[in-house]
Amino acid sequence: MLLPYLVGSLLLVGLPALLSAVLAFTSYDALSPPVFVGFTNFRLLAADPIVGTALLNTLFFIVLAVPLRVLGALGLALLLSRPRRGIGGYRAAVYLPTVIPDMAFALIWLWIFNPLFGPLNMVLGLFGLPGPGWLADADTARFPFVIMAAFQIGEGFVILLAALRGLSGEVFEAGAIDGAGRWAAFRYLTLPLLVPWLVLLTVRDVIVGLGWTFTPSYVMTGGDPYYATTFLPLLVYEEAFDRFRFGMGSALMLVMFLLSVALIGAIYLFFRRRGYVADV
Amino acid sequence: MPAARSHLHRLFTAAVLLVAATTSVVSAQERSGSVSFMVFGDPAELAAYEALVDAFEEREPGIDVQLIHIPSASDYRARLGADFAAGDPADVVLINYRRYAPFAAMGVLEPLAPYLRASEVISASDLYQAATEPFTWRGQLMCIPQNISSLVVYYDRDLFDTAGLAYPTDDWTWDEFLAAAKALTRDLDGDGTTDQYGVGIEPSIFRLAPFVWANGGELVVLESGQRPVRLALDSRASREAVEWFVALQTEHGVVPSAVAAAARDDASRFLDGTTAMYFDSRRFTPTARTIDSFAWDVAALPVGRERAGILHSDAYCMAAATEDKDAAWAFIEFANSPEGQAIVARTGRTVPSLRAVAESDAFLDLAASPANSRVWLDTIDSLGAVPVMAGWVDVEELTGDELERAFYGQVGVDEAIDAMVTRTLPFFAGEEG
Repeated sequence: MLLPYLVGSLLLVGLPALLSAVLAFTSYDALSPPVFVGFTNFRLLAADPIVGTALLNTLFFIVLAVPLRVLGALGLALLLSRPRRGIGGYRAAVYLPTVIPDMAFALIWLWIFNPLFGPLNMVLGLFGLPGPGWLADADTARFPFVIMAAFQIGEGFVILLAALRGLSGEVFEAGAIDGAGRWAAFRYLTLPLLVPWLVLLTVRDVIVGLGWTFTPSYVMTGGDPYYATTFLPLLVYEEAFDRFRFGMGSALMLVMFLLSVALIGAIYLFFRRRGYVADV
Repeated sequence: MPAARSHLHRLFTAAVLLVAATTSVVSAQERSGSVSFMVFGDPAELAAYEALVDAFEEREPGIDVQLIHIPSASDYRARLGADFAAGDPADVVLINYRRYAPFAAMGVLEPLAPYLRASEVISASDLYQAATEPFTWRGQLMCIPQNISSLVVYYDRDLFDTAGLAYPTDDWTWDEFLAAAKALTRDLDGDGTTDQYGVGIEPSIFRLAPFVWANGGELVVLESGQRPVRLALDSRASREAVEWFVALQTEHGVVPSAVAAAARDDASRFLDGTTAMYFDSRRFTPTARTIDSFAWDVAALPVGRERAGILHSDAYCMAAATEDKDAAWAFIEFANSPEGQAIVARTGRTVPSLRAVAESDAFLDLAASPANSRVWLDTIDSLGAVPVMAGWVDVEELTGDELERAFYGQVGVDEAIDAMVTRTLPFFAGEEG
């Protein structure tokens, strides 16, 4: 029954990924045959300061957005886990931003972050606070991406909601008998029991987050101001489809892949050191 | 005798009609097929090409033209690249002279010189040479230019009237331009922020270039007078022009700041009456014609040490992979015939590359805005063009990044020029000119 999925994954994901990895060692404009150039593309990437900037921008996003998204999903799942009147509406409100198409989502936020006419700076102005330049200012341009990503947490929220409902009530009853208060129950019972789910979400968010920035950076900033919002996916796209340097684009893709492996490895080590490796 | 003459006359007329009808039938039989035609632009521009396609299909009912429209110029470039790479490009594509070189170098465009030579409808001598030259790649005309547009100043006549300023003249100077820009930059409500800007101009090398030339400078260094080898922005005259250009924002504040520019683009500011002078080509005219809240016109670029302008030209190019080349050429030929060019010119989109159409009412119609359309024709002799080279797209992109930083006061002009010259050097390597 799973064969179609296996075949689909191999043909539509595995094979293109493999071809892309091979192209990383070539000079290829998609019109002439590829020419093998060894590690030249990687040497050029290492020498290009824009690649370094894009790498740092991407890490900045991952380091801020992933914990924010996972903790946000956890907090909201805890807040909205117990049945009460109107709870369905609240849960739907949390999930709703996730179903907005990426392009529309980016355009909405482009308006929200408009430094002069956007509602965000207008609200700040009502409180006498100076509105930042947001996407127009290199110092603040990356933060809107993190804020936007923190609103698309519907999937993580649903997963954690299901996980919370699946926790055994007996464990908490035993904890209550032992005198555990609400905080102790959360710290020593709920959180450890949710670790496998949190690890799963963190790994997923790292993988998704590496590519997530593409649509908003393409639509909202085009990498401006002065590469402040040039993330790796946008650079891959520009190298391949703007400049027809598919070899360089593929090499960058390989760098992104290695980056995701390194980040997932770091997450694994983080949890292993805390003794959760068996759960993971 | 008169009866016989009349009979003969009728016979002759019938013969002519028969020949014409036969030719028409043969023509209709010969000209059949389908052509895909890809363009970019806003809805007003799309309407121009829809009118062209409708007229062609009426003329050639056997040929079906599929119009593919990509709204954004950057998406259009990406689509072109992807389509050519996939080996399935549109049969006919519109490409700017700054962008076609990579495709020509890769051999994916069908040279159109032989088609033009064989044409009985148009010939090279009918077209402005300034428009055909940039589309000549290694001695061969690759594409047929539809227009010979150039950068001009769109100005809000009402704002000039309110400020008590005289309208720009054909030979206004940089100083006069700057004085007007300062007078038109105003804080209308006294809250300390500028509400109305004198100038709207994009900080790009394409906008900067005519000012460099007008100051006696050069954009690129040419080896043996032909091959571009590096940017020449570090020469004294070019540097002065860059400083003057950048000072419009950093020193005089007549152009929106980085934050103001991000909040609303220059074209929108001109359309809503909060920017008095906006720099753009004829391409903006169909959009400007939607303005009904104020009067506007166009003026030539202000004159520096000399008069200089910059060519804006797009051309109909045929993909080498096109299967039905006869049908594709039939469409290109019609689009660049007096009838075809007149259709698009009437929408305001183009400054026709055909002399006869450019000088006709289709373009110079006094009843249609702008009143001063003739400025595009009067300045043709002073137009310069950026180098046609495969790496020019990269050069424009990198210089734009650096120039923007200087324009918004984030780095000094010297630093920006050094970065522009240094970072673009690799893209000049291997150019044949």
